[in-house]
Amino acid sequence: METAKRLTFALAGNANVGKSVIFNQLTGLNQVIGNWPGKTVERAEGLLHFKGQTVNIIDLPGIYSLSTFSMEEVVTRDYIALERPDVIIDVVDASALERNLYLTIQLLELGSPMVLALNQMDFAAKKGIEIDVEKLSQLLGMPVVPTVATTGKGIEKLLSEAVDVAEHKAVAPSGIRFGKEIEGLLEKLEAVLLNNVPEICRKYPARWLAIKLFERDDDITKKILAEAAGGEILGLADMLVKEVEQEHGEPSMVVIASERYGIASRIAKEVTRIVSPPKVALEEKMSAITAHRILGYPILALVMAAMFAVIFIGGNALSGFLEGSFEDSIIPAVNGALSGVLSPLFVDIIGGGLIAGIVAGISVALPYIVPFYVLLSILEDSGYLPRAAFLMDNLMHKIGLHGKAFIPLLLGYGCSVPACIGCRILETDRERFLAGFVVVLIPCAARTVIILGLVGQYVGLPAALALYAFDLALVFALGRIAFKALPGEPVGLVMEMPPYKRPSVKNVLMKTWARTREFTYVALPWMVGGSIILVLLKQSGSDVALAHVMAPLIGGWLGLPALAGIPLIFGVFRKELALILLAELIDLAKLSSVQMIVFTMVTMIYVPCVATIATMRREFGWRRAVAVTIIDILLALLLGGLAFHILSILF
Amino acid sequence: MSVEEKISELLELIRTTELNRKEIKKEEIAAELKYPLLETEKIIDVATTEGLIQHNDGVFRLTDKGYMAVQHHRESYIHERFTHQPAFLGRLSRVIDGGIKDWQGHWRRRHSFDEESLNEFYKGIQGLEGHVEDTLPLANLDQGEHGHIVLAFGGRGLVRRLTEMGLTPGTEVTLTRKAPFHGPVEVKVRDISLALGYGVASKVLVKRVKEAD
Repeated sequence: METAKRLTFALAGNANVGKSVIFNQLTGLNQVIGNWPGKTVERAEGLLHFKGQTVNIIDLPGIYSLSTFSMEEVVTRDYIALERPDVIIDVVDASALERNLYLTIQLLELGSPMVLALNQMDFAAKKGIEIDVEKLSQLLGMPVVPTVATTGKGIEKLLSEAVDVAEHKAVAPSGIRFGKEIEGLLEKLEAVLLNNVPEICRKYPARWLAIKLFERDDDITKKILAEAAGGEILGLADMLVKEVEQEHGEPSMVVIASERYGIASRIAKEVTRIVSPPKVALEEKMSAITAHRILGYPILALVMAAMFAVIFIGGNALSGFLEGSFEDSIIPAVNGALSGVLSPLFVDIIGGGLIAGIVAGISVALPYIVPFYVLLSILEDSGYLPRAAFLMDNLMHKIGLHGKAFIPLLLGYGCSVPACIGCRILETDRERFLAGFVVVLIPCAARTVIILGLVGQYVGLPAALALYAFDLALVFALGRIAFKALPGEPVGLVMEMPPYKRPSVKNVLMKTWARTREFTYVALPWMVGGSIILVLLKQSGSDVALAHVMAPLIGGWLGLPALAGIPLIFGVFRKELALILLAELIDLAKLSSVQMIVFTMVTMIYVPCVATIATMRREFGWRRAVAVTIIDILLALLLGGLAFHILSILF
Repeated sequence: MSVEEKISELLELIRTTELNRKEIKKEEIAAELKYPLLETEKIIDVATTEGLIQHNDGVFRLTDKGYMAVQHHRESYIHERFTHQPAFLGRLSRVIDGGIKDWQGHWRRRHSFDEESLNEFYKGIQGLEGHVEDTLPLANLDQGEHGHIVLAFGGRGLVRRLTEMGLTPGTEVTLTRKAPFHGPVEVKVRDISLALGYGVASKVLVKRVKEAD
């Protein structure tokens, strides 16, 4: 008798089909999120209990195909082929069946047991589409369950079907076949593979390998070439493939994609019926206005302005309130309680280091980062962000990126850590790094605190806004230089524009949590650690010594009081702390406007904080992280000094 | 129309019949190209003496030279229309050296084609049915116009992505929106809206579909 049998289900599907909503429905908060080993691709895993069984659910990345063009595709393919989950739940968008079935057909080629989740049935109904579920199931040879992920409809049924498939493992080989000519060729290749490289055929299905050889898939070609008989097999494959290419006048990859789409389109036509005229006039109208070639831009500016206004005004008030209440009540209370028990040094470490670090994290995260990401997730889920990316594509091309990079750029206004991770939506390594280089220069919430708290407060709002504008110009200029300096070709924009939808509250909250989590787990520990180091430095008096060493630079070149060097150093750990420290060391009212601007400018540009450096290292590697850090320090010093000398002449 | 242009029309027609595994006779050529029979014969004669085509039993085939001629005609047309406006220096050097001679080298150097994408590009233009002059880049369709995909070219990764997003040859696309200043375009294909950068949309050749009304 087996009792503790654990099943594994993998969710696969295109992007924007509600796959992660289904994942959230299945697992709730019972999720572990990390990276695929050795890859910067997110891996989400969760557990659920169903009818006495424990089921492990893996959310595979959203992809359009199983080639090896992107890391996401490689991860998905290796996972399915090598780890063989018990069932693959393929989530498809019922309102765009044809395009979605393209991936389904490729998953079928891999020969795993599958269940189809026919999602967004509500939206399909709105478009006047009716789907014959029975027939679709027959044609594909797998159970098909209509679902509406946002309301949870059909999820229970989906699970029980998946468990059923897992228990009866008998997978009817799919009846889906390509044209005669290609099937003939595949059969030949399959036989050759089975005879000559049986080991690889035990790992991957032979028919699938044959298809990959036909497509001239780099990864599989390499694997086969590594075998003794590899050269011969590839020679034969090449000859056969060339014949077909000659006939069709198309590269084999296009030939097979056309075949797959042919099948997908045939199935989609057979099972869908347009029952009523589509009722999506409003959606179309919103699309037409928000992506309009002229109107779109003022709308975009308005949306952004409104969002930032809410964050800055609301955040500033909330942040002040939080800091005030912490400083007035909690910290003194903790200090009081501890001072009886511990030595003063330890009290300072715990009160001034640990707790102050956590408080600082909370007073940046809660008022600024959380609301910002809530609003951004609403914009994203409703479908507005892709329109914004569409409008910004042209401008982003000037810095060698494309429209999609606008999204991590926006994320940067919250916290640089999720922004760096957000660069993963870009296609190539070069673009991700280019975007990463640029996003760390975007003033994050902590830097905003300084800009508003110092320049905004003492010099005036126009000066603060001018600093923002200067930063944007700098981002643009540096992006352009980096784009010209980095070797490689820019990649063009190819992006799906999902229809406008009402965002689901649950999903927005989950997304906000996912992004804030990156801040909490990556940035916060650094902030706390930094605070403790700070206390130690202060206690040992080395901070003043450091300030003296740096005096010529800080005083001579930047024109700041020598003590201002201390907050600049500690800003590396916690940017927003620079301001608090500065206020502790120097009477802010005695600083001149120019000094405030210079100080703020330097903090804005120089080293992204330690947490960001650590994230950059993870995403782009050590060398690039160090390079960006050094460039940013030098740049901040150069521009800060120039600003001091120029502004001193002017004012 | 010059004789050269007529010859390339003829070569493209023969290439198309070859692709369809059909055989074409003199009279059919005349009917297809809408020339009088006499003139057609003259063009065929010139093409034959230049070694571009050969015929046995009245059936016409391209020679290797003719095959290359079709390729050059198509790549230079695509190049002139779609890929880049040569900058002043480029134009100057072209005046000096009399145009591009080493096409493969040019695609590699100026357009960053690697070996594989170049091969696929050539396969693609060889497989093009009909006349290359009937095609235009997707980016050049007007808002609301429809087209049939003929071929996508450029880097191998790009072609792969476009193909996988459903832009396979023969598929109907509708251009729904254009951003200003050579910005991206939005197209509808297989019930999906896709945003394509201007550069990307310039590398997708389509045949315009005339509205039936």
